Amino acid sequence: MSKYIIPVLIIILLVFSVVKKVKPYNAFIEGAKQSIDLTFSIFPYLVGVLILSELFEISGLADMFSNLVSPLFSLFGIPKELTKLVIIKPFSGSGSLAILSDVYLKFGVDSYIARCASAIYGSSETVFFISSVYFAKSKNKKLFLPILISLIASFFSTVFACFICKIL
Amino acid sequence: MNIIFTLVLSLSTILLILNNPDAVLSAFLDGGEKALNLSLKLVVVYAVWLGIFEILRRTELDKKLSKLLKPINKFLFGKTSEDANNFISMNLSANMLGISGATTPLGINAISELEKEQNSYYKTAMFFVLNATSVQILPSSVIALRSSMGSISSGDIIIPSILSTLVSTVVGIILVKIFIKKS
Repeated sequence: MSKYIIPVLIIILLVFSVVKKVKPYNAFIEGAKQSIDLTFSIFPYLVGVLILSELFEISGLADMFSNLVSPLFSLFGIPKELTKLVIIKPFSGSGSLAILSDVYLKFGVDSYIARCASAIYGSSETVFFISSVYFAKSKNKKLFLPILISLIASFFSTVFACFICKIL
Repeated sequence: MNIIFTLVLSLSTILLILNNPDAVLSAFLDGGEKALNLSLKLVVVYAVWLGIFEILRRTELDKKLSKLLKPINKFLFGKTSEDANNFISMNLSANMLGISGATTPLGINAISELEKEQNSYYKTAMFFVLNATSVQILPSSVIALRSSMGSISSGDIIIPSILSTLVSTVVGIILVKIFIKKS
């Protein structure tokens, strides 16, 4: 079902552009032009965030931190096998995806742990990545409170995900 | 970001000095290289989506969408300009559909528009928290991964995912409303 959404939307858009007498080719090129500038301006932020997540993982800090907080996490019902997923997710999309497929391989795709991991992965975002890239063009970078709120909210949904996967 | 950057980088570097000092500089460079590879992908993804968005803008379909979402936007952000509303509505729709490449350019534009307005700290914080707590309705990438790895019912996680993402978004909205004052 979901694979038809975007193609259908594109057809609707093209039909509309004929109705509204918009030249779709010219418009497309005008829009696409902005992509190089945009990528240029976010590049330094990407470098910063990816260095951050690279060092976090290869130094073993991520593992140490996971071991440290996993007793605390398990008080909230988060399985200790998933602590690292919860810790990595705010830093890196590709890193957490790798952990997710590891979990699938290790515990079986349809196990409780795997379903729980899927719900955690699907309900949270790469908070640090978004915070640096979205504000790439902005002057005001008072982000401490918004980042903290996002992390707390994601923790709530993680706890909830582990709970709901148990009863559903 | 400065606090996290300093904290994580210094702790990681100290750990590496103890275990494997050679790896420090190469980790920095690896991170940079990953950023370059990612940028090469993003430049294409953004070109496609920005092209499509420009057609959308000229057909004025984006205004229709933002009219549709106006009540929600008004509740979340208060009074916002038409331009900001259009970007917010498109960004939130792309987020819900899980079109991750499309959300970023729209998000950056929405934030630049919101920054021009009154109460900009509250508005940008609300917008950021919505994006950072995920409002995706259909976790299509997870479902695809699950079925490729032989899941017998890959759609099993749709309802738990929707419910959990709802929890994070609602908690996020409430916390922003409580702790970030409209000036």
